[in-house]
Amino acid sequence: MSWMNNQAVNLLERSIDAAGLRQKVLANNIANIDTPGFKRSDVSFAQQLQEALSGQSLAGRRTLAGHIPIGVDKLENVKPEVYQETSTSMRMDGNNVDIDSEMTNLATNQLQYNALIQQINYSFGLMKYAISEGKR
Amino acid sequence: MGLFDSISISATGLTAERLRLDVISGNIANANTTRGVDGQPYRRRQVVFEERAGGQSFQSVLNDQLGITQAPGFGVRVSKVQQDESPFKLVYDPQHPDSVKDPNDPMYGYVRMPNVDIAKEMVDMISASRGYEANVTAINAAKAMAMKALEIGR
Repeated sequence: MSWMNNQAVNLLERSIDAAGLRQKVLANNIANIDTPGFKRSDVSFAQQLQEALSGQSLAGRRTLAGHIPIGVDKLENVKPEVYQETSTSMRMDGNNVDIDSEMTNLATNQLQYNALIQQINYSFGLMKYAISEGKR
Repeated sequence: MGLFDSISISATGLTAERLRLDVISGNIANANTTRGVDGQPYRRRQVVFEERAGGQSFQSVLNDQLGITQAPGFGVRVSKVQQDESPFKLVYDPQHPDSVKDPNDPMYGYVRMPNVDIAKEMVDMISASRGYEANVTAINAAKAMAMKALEIGR
């Protein structure tokens, strides 16, 4: 872990990746709004991150590369997962995309993405400040 | 990878909804057509949407091997344009050139009109145009995010 690649920046990077993935998944849901039998997907990242940060989830420590991962033991192993909601149905044709919730998710995700970019910019700004010995 | 994928996913949605709108326009335009290409009255057409599966592209295989999580699908496609096989509407209009002319026929004077229901087409049209708008919104969101990402390190 170098000065340039500290944990905060690393975490922000991965959160940005997850938000980008979520944008794609939501776009796919919206594109399939009228596809019979389509089931919506979503990305679980925030929850996993929360669990890893609080250290409250049950996680098996992996001491060998061959060990099967149980839960998330380290922050580095938090990975966005795509899951599908198969149990619900919105309409007669079996499609479960709710356009209102998708559009809300889209807006939320966009705001979150912008916030993350702002935060990463701030981190880089601090580095710049240090490099220039505090002279702007 | 990247946000361009998101834009192309939404573009498939735009294409599909536009085709649906085209088909609906055809139905409305032919709502009174008693002579179709096969000599029969016009049959209502409807599109069938299908989820577009991600093929085995180099990128997707590479991402799989690298353990990079990918979006589950690649948008939507129109799998076929189907004809509505419901019966034609019967309208009594003996003056119509396509009415049954034989006086001994119990159907004398009736015209077979297309099985297009204008109200239904209008509802479908609104649904298609709202779907189109939703995809446009998703594209704009992706665009705004990509522009924002360019601000990193400014």
